[in-house]
This record gives sequence, C-alpha cells and structure tokens, in this order.
Amino acid sequence: MNDTQAGAGPAPDLIDTLVGLAPGDALYATRHARAKVVDATQASQALFFAPGGNSLPLEDRLMVALHASLLSRSEPMAAYYRDALDKAGADAQKLAAIEQGDISGLADTRLKAMLAFTETLITRPIEGDRDALLRLQAAGIATPDIVTLAQLIAYLSYQIRVVAGLKAMKALEQA
Amino acid sequence: MSTIIKQNGFTNETLDWKAWLDVVDLNKATPEQMDVLEMSHPKAKVQDYYRFLAHQPAILRQRSEAFNAIMYAPGGLARADRELSSLAVSRINGCVYCASVHAQRFEQLAKRNDTVAQVFDDPASAGTNEREKAIVQFSIRITQAPENIGPADIQALKDAGLNEAEILDLLHAAAIFAWANRLMLNLGEPELAQQA
Repeated sequence: MNDTQAGAGPAPDLIDTLVGLAPGDALYATRHARAKVVDATQASQALFFAPGGNSLPLEDRLMVALHASLLSRSEPMAAYYRDALDKAGADAQKLAAIEQGDISGLADTRLKAMLAFTETLITRPIEGDRDALLRLQAAGIATPDIVTLAQLIAYLSYQIRVVAGLKAMKALEQA
Repeated sequence: MSTIIKQNGFTNETLDWKAWLDVVDLNKATPEQMDVLEMSHPKAKVQDYYRFLAHQPAILRQRSEAFNAIMYAPGGLARADRELSSLAVSRINGCVYCASVHAQRFEQLAKRNDTVAQVFDDPASAGTNEREKAIVQFSIRITQAPENIGPADIQALKDAGLNEAEILDLLHAAAIFAWANRLMLNLGEPELAQQA
C-alpha cells in the first residue's frame, strides 16, 4: 500500500494529498505554520497503518477505516481506504459487506466485532458502554488491541473532519 | 471560586473518570510508557484515561503531540475560543467529562462563564456575541455532519471576523474533540471527584 520507492524519502502528507494542497498555496502555508499538528497527524497515520508491528492485521485496520469513512459519508476518505484495500488484495466478500453497509453476515467474528464497535463510535458515540468492550474481549481482542482499535476509530473521526474543513477552506479560496 | 452550573446533565464541577478495563500499572510500566505519560499531561500518571491509553505508548505520544499543539500553541485563535469549540463539540457529543474540563478552562481564560451556561442550556443559540456564535455554529456543524461543511461555513466565520489561520485553529480544535470525546465516552465513565 506504499507507493513510494524504498529510499525515496518519507511518504507524502496524506491530508495535503487528499485536499489537494501544494507548496505555494496560501492554505498550504497556513496549514504548515502549525507544523507540530501536521507532523503528529501524519505520524499517527503512519502508526495506525504500518504493515507490521501491530497485532491487529492491516487488512482489518483498513476495513475499520473504510467502514468509518462510509458511515461518515466522507467520499475522499472512503475512496482512499478502498484503494488501499484493493492494493492489499483484501477479501472481496468482506469488502462487499462493508460497502453495502450490512456486516451482519460476516463469518469473521473478530472483524465483525471490530466493525460493530466502529459503528457505535462513529455514529452514536454517546452509546458507549462497558459491555461493548467486553464483547471485543469475548471476540478475542486483548486490552492493548482494544486501545489501538479505539484510538484508530477516534483518530479517523478527527481525520475525516480535518479533510472536510480544509476542502471547504480551499473551495472558498478558489471561489 | 467559580459558580456551579448544572444543566441538562452537564456540569462545570470537577469530575474524575474511571476506565472500564485494566489500566497500566505504574510499577510495571516500561520506560517508554512512563515517558509518554510525562509528556501527555502534568497529571497523566494519576489519571485512568492516560494510564489506559498508555497500553499503546507510540499512539498516545502522537495523540498528545497533536492535542497539545492544537490546544496550547501560541498565536492564531485565542485559547478561550479554542476551549469554546471543544466545549460545544463535547456538549453535542454528550461527553459530560470533557464538557466539565473545558467549561473550566474556558472560564479560566475568558474570566467569565456566561457562554458556558448557554452551551449547556441550548448550544444551537449559544454565544454572547456574533464571533462566539459563529465559533459554536461551526463546531456543531462539523461535529454532526462533516460531509455538509462547505465554503459557506468558512465564509460565515470570515464574516464574524476570523482570519484563515484562526479558522484552521478552530477546525483543529473541533476535530481533535471528535477524537477525544469518542475515547472518553467509550472507554470509561465520569464520576464526581473525591475531595482531596
């Protein structure tokens, strides 16, 4: 899922890419004046979607991201994560279930539990309860992985809003 | 000493927060976990929230770098305005714990709490002036329907006197509370603070 050649330097900033910001744009300069925010956001992206070093499989993390993006009606994020899943050779049946918005028939109970948790956090965060965490544990997900999953979904809700806001700022700049 | 404001289940009183699952035991914490707790928040070692998130120290480190830069960096949007956005987002998402913390911070910075009472009472109409109203309106809209945010929302902020750098800071403050609220609401629950 990494397009850059080995040794070609760090991956391009994902939010700049998705919003369409380039050096020389006024909005690019405004955004990069908050360099710590830009760097920590991109570093989070790299951590959440590193191929290894995570006991949650990359394909599952990308499926969570696609589900969160579709539930949030974020076209740019959904397109990005769908593309990443295609490049990772993701399971077609699982992808279809997520894209149709019906995960009830998924045989992978662990992924199903992760996607159900995603749906609660994204669409009804107020409905969180202890039982939801116990259901994740019952699906075989240990506490440190529950932390990764919750952080991932919460981060995605941040990323979706930053992209939406910057796109609106860019549209106004160009109007 | 601040006046206590209680409305619709929200309060500006000091609350504690308890994790629903096991937190990191400080006696067994790795050096990396201790280091990230220290950089995250002055009281992180005694707070369940940070000790739970410290199960994944590298992720917590980037979250804290982003959070602290967004909420505390000098320049740009006034810090009271950033707190107002955090408060409005927390009110909309129903995060009672986050709302209490950021109600207090708003009051410390703004030296008044009239807007806090308004946000608790009816966020849709909250704001003591046009600038505050615009900040709260944007925060509500990006929380509820980020897919509907467009140039008109940005123009409304400009019309209320915000420049581009301030609008970016506002966007970051609202967005980082989409992140923070979801963790606070789904990993544990608030309780009234013990008297020291």
